[in-house]
Amino acid sequence: MSGFSRILKNVPAVLWVELLLVIVFSFFSRNYLTTRNLLILLQQGAVLLVISAAATFVIISGGLDLSLGAIMTVAGVFTALAVNAGFPIPAVIAVGALVGTACGAVNGLLISFAGMEPFIATLGMQGLLYGISLAMTNKEGIPVSNERFVFLGDLVNRTVPMAAISCGLIFLLAVFVQNHTLLGRYTFAIGGNEEGSRLSGVETRFWKWAIYAFAGFLTGLGAVVLVARLEVADPIVGVQWEFEAIAAAILGGTSLRIGRGDVRGTIVGVMLITIIRSGLNVVRVPSVWQPAIIGTIIILSIVFQVWISTSGKERK
Amino acid sequence: MTKTSSGVRIRADAALLAGLGRFGALAILIVVGALASDVFLSGRNISNIVTNASVIIILGVGQTIAIITNGPDLSAGSVLTICAVIATLMVKQLGIFFPIAILAALALGMFLGFLNGYMIARIGIPSFISTYGLQWAVFGFAYVILKGYVIYDFDTSFRFIGNGYLFGTIPMPIVVMLLVVTGGMFMLRRTVVGRELYAVGANRVAARMSGVDTEKKIIQAFILSGALAALAGIVLVARINAVQADIGKNYVLPVIAAVFMGGTSPTGGRGTLLGTVIGALIITVVQNGMNLLAVDSVWRDAVIGVLIILTVLIDITMQKRLARIQAA
Repeated sequence: MSGFSRILKNVPAVLWVELLLVIVFSFFSRNYLTTRNLLILLQQGAVLLVISAAATFVIISGGLDLSLGAIMTVAGVFTALAVNAGFPIPAVIAVGALVGTACGAVNGLLISFAGMEPFIATLGMQGLLYGISLAMTNKEGIPVSNERFVFLGDLVNRTVPMAAISCGLIFLLAVFVQNHTLLGRYTFAIGGNEEGSRLSGVETRFWKWAIYAFAGFLTGLGAVVLVARLEVADPIVGVQWEFEAIAAAILGGTSLRIGRGDVRGTIVGVMLITIIRSGLNVVRVPSVWQPAIIGTIIILSIVFQVWISTSGKERK
Repeated sequence: MTKTSSGVRIRADAALLAGLGRFGALAILIVVGALASDVFLSGRNISNIVTNASVIIILGVGQTIAIITNGPDLSAGSVLTICAVIATLMVKQLGIFFPIAILAALALGMFLGFLNGYMIARIGIPSFISTYGLQWAVFGFAYVILKGYVIYDFDTSFRFIGNGYLFGTIPMPIVVMLLVVTGGMFMLRRTVVGRELYAVGANRVAARMSGVDTEKKIIQAFILSGALAALAGIVLVARINAVQADIGKNYVLPVIAAVFMGGTSPTGGRGTLLGTVIGALIITVVQNGMNLLAVDSVWRDAVIGVLIILTVLIDITMQKRLARIQAA
């Protein structure tokens, strides 16, 4: 079976819902199904796709990372500082990636080597990292204006969606790691049966640590693109991102218990969240209502997805 | 036979040691606070600390019970917020008799707790995802209701529960807190339900095998947590006389910290309310100390986050050492 048809088989419900939503929204506004609007959607969903890929790895391995949004925020702050300090672009990207990897590595140490529950370690890190980003920015966004940096996330000439292209490349890297490296293989092995993997000679402690570090690495790269797109590093921009990323992974067919999933499926989850977000503007839902409605839809779709996937074979 | 009995004794000693450690930590913090600031040990400041701790303790009792049974209730801060918003709206805007408003808020808290419990027990979504997710939707609705405004200045009769004094001396939040803690302790230690909650958390399969309706117990635990979050919200807004849509955001991390400092096991089945009370006092003294020393507010969550990680690390290390002693 080809990869795409497997995705189709795994997440039909969500895809149909998306198709339906796009049709409905295009009735509300003639501008919805235009190339320009689709480009904007791509730009808006791009960074979430990268963060969601990070979340997918962690969830497949049987873990959880509630600090991804905070990691993205801190990595973004360091990125902006590096840009404004006049670093060359490759060095700026390296700074974002390194900060993200370092944060993820701390998560991994606490979870894999010290044996902490993932939700505690990453919740504690969330508090710490937002504290650091607020202190470093003095509670205000750091604007960036370097043209060559901003290019990385720009919609160039209103036609070339650079954020989508940058994030697409990062995402391809994630897919490659999942399918063609030891890290990818052990992510599934640890999620499927950690004890069994350990007994068959896999250094599970090291690889679990590496999974969190890699999630931090992806998130750091995503932060670089986000700062380039928004042209500002906001000290609390990541609030709630980790939840949308987890939701996208689950909607994309990643199982919460048995080490099954696919980073590629996560695209579908990210699409749903992005389509709903854009659609609320199209049907002119007042902005006060949007957090409540989006939150409700996301939690309901998680419930629906988990209910569907467990009502058959996996249950108990 | 000697092996088992000495094992039990070592476990009991370790629990005692951990308990003493918590008291010690609290005592050291108090001494440091007294040395660092003249006003720290004033009657007014101490009364302030315990009153502030009361809200954390009320939330902490619900959180402890949720974690003992299954897992954290990360939605508690949002449930606190929306229940406070609904109660004050009924009292202030609609002029409804305040006990009815309080009952309505408690009912809403229980309903949201039921939703959490249902998602966890019946659908099978782990609590740290389902409650974390519900939180954003609930905060969203609180924001919809208030639209960024602040409701303030409530009737004295409504405010009594947060601002009044019993017999003219004991602040009402402390009275409510003591009632909640005593009730919770009684339930956990002396009732069948309490034992079943511990059993479900310690080993869900074994509990089901021995005839406990585990799904029902989990739902009950989260309903309780929701109700206590609502109660904490009412006490809080009655005390500070104002409510806004993010009032509960600052409570999630401190409450989790208090529970783990109190020695509750993150994996369930082990924990005491007395521990949570001490944990909440430690957290509040730390927060109070940061206020008195004028630490920039940006560092408050960071300090709590680090405290959570350190506490759990120490707990894990002690458990490992205990296991090693028992094995030897």
